[in-house]
Amino acid sequence: MSSRLRVVLYGLLCVMAVPFVFPTWWMITSSMKPVSEIFAWPPALFPASPSLDAYRDVFTLQPFAQQYLNSAYIAIVVTIGTMAVASLSGYAFARIRFPGANALFLVVLTGLLIPSEVTIVPLFQMFNAWGLIDTHWPLIVVPILGAPSVLATFIMRQFFLTLPVELEEAGRLDGLGRFAIFWRIALPLARPALGAVSIFTFLHSWNLYLEPIVFLSTPEKFTLPQALTQFVDAYGGPMWDVQLSAASLTAIPVLIVFVIAQRQFIEGLAHTGLKG
Amino acid sequence: MRLRAMTAALLLLGVTACGGGGASDGPAELRMTIWSANEAHVKLFDEIAAAYVAAHPDKVSKVTFDPLPFENYTTTLTTQLAGGKGPDLAWLLESAALDFVEAGALVPLDDTLEDPAGLNPAVMKLWQADGKTLAYPFSNSPFGVFINTDLLKQAGQEPPAAGWTWEQAIAAASAVHAKTGKAGLVVRDFDYKGWDNLATVWTGWGANAWSEDGKTCGFDQQPMVDAMTFLHKAIFTDQALPGPGTTADFFAGEAAMTISQISRASLLEDKFAWDLVPLPAGPAGKYSVIGQGGVGVLKQSKNAAAAADFLAYFTNAANSEKLAQFFPPPRTSLLTADTLAKANPKLKPAQLQTVVVDGIANGKVKPSHTGNAELSQAVRASLDPLWRPDADVRTVLTGVCTAINPLLSK
Amino acid sequence: MKTFWTARRRDTLAGYLFVAPQLAGSALFVFVPLVLVVYYSLHEWNVLAGTFSFIGFSNYSALAEDANLMPVLRATALFSVGLVAINLSLALLLAVLLNQRLRGTAFFRTVFFSPVVVSLVAWTIVWQFLLQDNGGINGALDMAGVDGPNWLRGDTTALISVIAVQTVKNVGLNMVLFLAALQGVPADLYEAARVDGASAWTRFRRITMPMISPTILLTSIITVVGSLQVFAQIAVLTQGGPGTSTTVLVYYLYQQAFQFHHFGYGATLSVLLFGIVAALTVVQWQMRRRWVFHEQ
Repeated sequence: MSSRLRVVLYGLLCVMAVPFVFPTWWMITSSMKPVSEIFAWPPALFPASPSLDAYRDVFTLQPFAQQYLNSAYIAIVVTIGTMAVASLSGYAFARIRFPGANALFLVVLTGLLIPSEVTIVPLFQMFNAWGLIDTHWPLIVVPILGAPSVLATFIMRQFFLTLPVELEEAGRLDGLGRFAIFWRIALPLARPALGAVSIFTFLHSWNLYLEPIVFLSTPEKFTLPQALTQFVDAYGGPMWDVQLSAASLTAIPVLIVFVIAQRQFIEGLAHTGLKG
Repeated sequence: MRLRAMTAALLLLGVTACGGGGASDGPAELRMTIWSANEAHVKLFDEIAAAYVAAHPDKVSKVTFDPLPFENYTTTLTTQLAGGKGPDLAWLLESAALDFVEAGALVPLDDTLEDPAGLNPAVMKLWQADGKTLAYPFSNSPFGVFINTDLLKQAGQEPPAAGWTWEQAIAAASAVHAKTGKAGLVVRDFDYKGWDNLATVWTGWGANAWSEDGKTCGFDQQPMVDAMTFLHKAIFTDQALPGPGTTADFFAGEAAMTISQISRASLLEDKFAWDLVPLPAGPAGKYSVIGQGGVGVLKQSKNAAAAADFLAYFTNAANSEKLAQFFPPPRTSLLTADTLAKANPKLKPAQLQTVVVDGIANGKVKPSHTGNAELSQAVRASLDPLWRPDADVRTVLTGVCTAINPLLSK
Repeated sequence: MKTFWTARRRDTLAGYLFVAPQLAGSALFVFVPLVLVVYYSLHEWNVLAGTFSFIGFSNYSALAEDANLMPVLRATALFSVGLVAINLSLALLLAVLLNQRLRGTAFFRTVFFSPVVVSLVAWTIVWQFLLQDNGGINGALDMAGVDGPNWLRGDTTALISVIAVQTVKNVGLNMVLFLAALQGVPADLYEAARVDGASAWTRFRRITMPMISPTILLTSIITVVGSLQVFAQIAVLTQGGPGTSTTVLVYYLYQQAFQFHHFGYGATLSVLLFGIVAALTVVQWQMRRRWVFHEQ
């Protein structure tokens, strides 16, 4: 590659990187500015006198630590549950021949096509009938078993399709049953796909917005995205600096984890079998 | 498959429908949805509730105050109601008042409320239907104009005197913007979306969003055209108001004046010298506008009787006086500058008298209508073309009426 | 009984057991609600008054009379087409750039992917600030001597803004998938083509595109379906405005059901939305035989 082309490519990459980096940068720096500076013209790259006051307010105005914990544990439970459900059914759809498998797979796939807004009212009714409104159950059970897990099943199926049959044949000759083949042979090989599924699922749960708004009403039970929009004064006027501080707090830890583990993160996603 | 699912569905509906029945014996647990998560507010409510529970342990064992996000307050409340899981008592925004009042979703309170004669009839009107009081307007907050006198001085402008007019207000705002680069006048929470806040302007021209009976559109009538023409010129020619998509926070010192409810005084830190004055007079003379919040007992509640009893206690004279520190009450006896001054240390009695006491006495409540959310959305969408420099005011306003007439006649 | 449990029967049982949780979940949390939505759509449901009455297909005939519906469908189509086109082509462009032998591609890969892990509401709130008339974007344009438009207040620019915010947020996902697909293309294919004297563009069109076409199919299905489900961004950024220029079907559905309290009509719109998504997916799936390499 010529060095001139190299410079052009680097230039292009740098320019294109701006909209990806600047918002996060701006969010974090602005959260340390007083409100008047947030709207200053032109916007400053650094706060004139950084202050963490707004961060303190985040915790005094709402049970933010508790809300953080809620979001984290819900996302983790959902991730583990989804991995279990999706790898089992993904494996069966890819590897086990049983009557109606294709038809059932198509039936399950339709779940991929249903926006959560479509079913939220009946879901609300159902969980209400079971007395589970204002609990975390709907936010855990629906993603694991309902429409959101379908994408995970799909990814797992596509991955298991690419596994060489010979590996399983060997296990079968050793007298292993289906579950043992799945558990001891197929699943360990599926680590990249599981990685992808866990990332997708974690982020999906972490980002849920409509569902918590509809299902939860006690601040101690809120999740983070819901809490983010709560930093308003009693008449609905937004408290910008506090809102940005809270937003930063939700973003920074995940970003740090991501930067540290980015190789596994991205390569896990890349090797999902979504290739074909 | 389909048939079975259908059966299951019906079964579930049945369960839901039955869920509302069967009041339990013993003291009730009450839940009240509110839109303020403000610590001081909730603390006061809890105190009042604790006192009530202590006095009536046989009726009520616990009262929970459940803050819902203001942003989606009515939506969340309705969703809970749809699921048969509504609260026993709920705060209601004035904009949604008629929806709740006229749908028959609320329990009449006439027999329970304490001293109904002491309530100011003007502020009660919105919350009554067929001669029955269906909710109690616990908050009656008039709009006034907060002034950053430092900024005005900096721009060489006189602070507003009694009887100031819109012409003067816009001239001063325009001068501030030209001299200091800061914003002149901000209609708080309008932001080119919350158009009902413009009632604080157009009422000065005698304009109305719709007629008293809610059937006739007022946007295409002359007073409204005049008011909006004035406003349009103030925004785009005089640059007295920040244009669409520009944010300026008065309380951060970014604007010289803001039209806002007095309760926002709590946001004032002593960063700059400020004053509070009544709305400027328009061509139709002096006027005032109030925003309300009501609280009602929902029919759906299993404990409606207990809830109504608690509400009566919550709003009796003694508690109203406590609530007055945050929410101007509808009780005539409490609407004096002295009572309010105790609660609002940041405001001077003179300010409270002119803006709050007089304001509530003569105030027009912000526009409300049945089907409010849909109507409000239709107005917002059809009013959007007005917020361009080259807009033709009369054409846009005629368009607003075309858009909302079908909704008004419903 | 040993003869009854043949390997085949045991597999069948295992298959059903393995998919049972997913199937039960889909039945309970996808199909029952879906049937309920259809059932609601045949009713007039006033939540506040607590009335629920059968009205047959009136909600469906109301669709035809709804003056807002055409603009909403138009906005939905523009948004989806714009998002899918921009998202996929940008993802492919980034993937191709990062697939070059350059130092530091891992760094840029991290950068382009990072918005994916930022919480959606936080991300949207930040862009809401940046897109203000006096916000960061116009500040930057101002320094470059360009007078930026009032992004969220113009019909076209608002739609573009929402598309851009959504693209920057999620393009990293598609980029990574494309990147993996590109790296899976055998190098000897390119070598052979080079020997035959094929230009870079020809190589891209004749080798790269067909080889990664399964990935393109998959990402396009996911992106199309995702584009029809965009909600939080619209709710935070534009609330469907100005006018109805960014009121996409999902947002309109939410407005009708939850804000205007027309649950019955909202359910009808849900049925419409489901029909559109299903139809689009079937079309894409059918078209795959025409252009997806492995399917030929």
